[in-house]
Amino acid sequence: MKAVKTQPLWRRTLQSNIGYLAVVFFLVIFPHLVGWMTGDSPFGVNGRPRGQSVFWQSVFIEVFILTILAMSYNLIFGFTGVISFGHALFFGLGGYIMGLALERSGLGAEAALLLGAVIGVVVCGVLGFLMGLVSLRLRGVYFAIFTLAIAEMVAIYIGRWPVTNAEDGFPLANMPELINPTRNRLTYYYLALLLVIITFLFIRRLMNSPTGKVLLAIRENENRAQAIGYNTLTYKLLAIALAGMIAAGAGMLHVILNRKVGPEILSVTYTVDPLLMTIIGGVGTFSGPIIGAAGLHLSERIFNREFVIGTTSVNIGENWSLILGIIFVVVVLVFPQGIVGTWTRWRSRRGTARAPAPTVRAANAGD
Amino acid sequence: MIETILEARRLRKQFGGLVAVDDVSLKVARGSVHSIIGPNGAGKTTFFNLLTGLYKPTNGQVFYKGQDITHAPLYRRAHLGIGRSFQITNIFPNLTVLENVRLAAQAMSNINFRLWRRAESYTDFTHRALEVLELVGLRDMAALPANILPHGGKRKLELAILLAPDPEVLLLDEPTAGMASEQVPELMATIASIRQRGGKTIVLVEHNMNVVMSASDVITVMNLGKLLAEGTPAEISANKTVQSVYLGELYNVEG
Repeated sequence: MKAVKTQPLWRRTLQSNIGYLAVVFFLVIFPHLVGWMTGDSPFGVNGRPRGQSVFWQSVFIEVFILTILAMSYNLIFGFTGVISFGHALFFGLGGYIMGLALERSGLGAEAALLLGAVIGVVVCGVLGFLMGLVSLRLRGVYFAIFTLAIAEMVAIYIGRWPVTNAEDGFPLANMPELINPTRNRLTYYYLALLLVIITFLFIRRLMNSPTGKVLLAIRENENRAQAIGYNTLTYKLLAIALAGMIAAGAGMLHVILNRKVGPEILSVTYTVDPLLMTIIGGVGTFSGPIIGAAGLHLSERIFNREFVIGTTSVNIGENWSLILGIIFVVVVLVFPQGIVGTWTRWRSRRGTARAPAPTVRAANAGD
Repeated sequence: MIETILEARRLRKQFGGLVAVDDVSLKVARGSVHSIIGPNGAGKTTFFNLLTGLYKPTNGQVFYKGQDITHAPLYRRAHLGIGRSFQITNIFPNLTVLENVRLAAQAMSNINFRLWRRAESYTDFTHRALEVLELVGLRDMAALPANILPHGGKRKLELAILLAPDPEVLLLDEPTAGMASEQVPELMATIASIRQRGGKTIVLVEHNMNVVMSASDVITVMNLGKLLAEGTPAEISANKTVQSVYLGELYNVEG
């Protein structure tokens, strides 16, 4: 039985994560790669954020932010099976709290950043918990509608709140020089990438823990999970609070990147986007939200311009929502497991997947 | 005096104007196999769900070891040692067979909020799960996703999930429902072996008469939401009222 463990742990870990490591490696060298290919420095030109490399860095930072948001959404939707339409609330509030901390706290940039991060994450965690507490006894679509109502209510209220300049919002100027995305975009790029990696590892760790297994059980069959002795409400609250905290982090990255806080970050877009990204990428998979976020955002950036075909020019950007809608309908109808889920299925049908095997191998190996 | 482990006291459940269970009292003796039978619509499944906590009674109380558990939610009852199975197969379809049972074994532990260790590193639960799978005869299928099991296999898995936390009282809701008749003896043999190991109390809701007659110590007959008769299998077979209401021509009583 012991013979299974022929390779040291670090080697097995390395081997099973080789795909992720390759992606991380590519993303680390990517700004320099673009800089080398186009001749534009990845650090900008004359201290100004100009050039192809800097442009693509910002596109990828947006991808990273949406990835974190989609991963947090996947935690409740994909792994716990709770459908929420109020995710933008956490994203937006995280952004607002960070903005207020930077601009209104009167603290220095570094202290304000830290304060905003801590308060934003805590507030969104508590809010997720409270929202779940009053509403999670509702199931399925009723819970979803409730969360949508709360999120919209907050969005409308903040859109009229004089303290934050109502619908105009306010700009951010006070931020630590090191991560200032205008002057030091490359540092900000690496910061966002680091946070994606941390979020990914955290969620994977969580889902492999005893607690994560209970979340899966709730997704699969909540009644049964209760019948075997789990107080499922507690676990759902935990999942929503954690997802709220992670989404708040994404919102903070977003406002600092855009150097502006406004009610648009509370809009339903930031609920629908992660939802679409999760579904298209693969609900309840680890890499699905990443692929969904990258795929949707990059394709939007690439196609968001006029294409000249013969004498006619087509502005795909204007019709992007239409195209996205069609893609979404096709995915839901033809590949309900999304890109990653469909790929895994296809591989397991060819008999190459080892998905269920490790549990038994681990069991046989003993300790 | 026989010790009562589970007791229903004047339970009543009303759905709107329909009285599904009307003043039913019942005492289940520790270590016995107690069956509840009755024709369709007799209210036996509703009564069962009042015992398990899925429904809250309109009136009446449920006691477990002398403790009032009328308002204890499903998961709390599980922690007290009352396990239930479901009539409609109720498993975790996209998890492996092993994971289905492992989760049930883990439920009573204190590791459910350990976020930082791998679930597999708690090998006790995996071993317990494999042990139970061995008992129900699913050991070889441990690595398969639960939803690809045949129906009989799912019923066995259902039983394994129920047994994994080692409950004192097993509430079985028509365990043979939808099973091919040749699979029934196998399942009953498993139930009999659980019984022989001792210590377990089994409450069985059934409509399969053969199962009930051979396996039970006590049978309670319900009809139209009311308790009609209670007694040993022999007494129930001989009871004229029961024969007319339930057994009728469906079951030819020979002795």
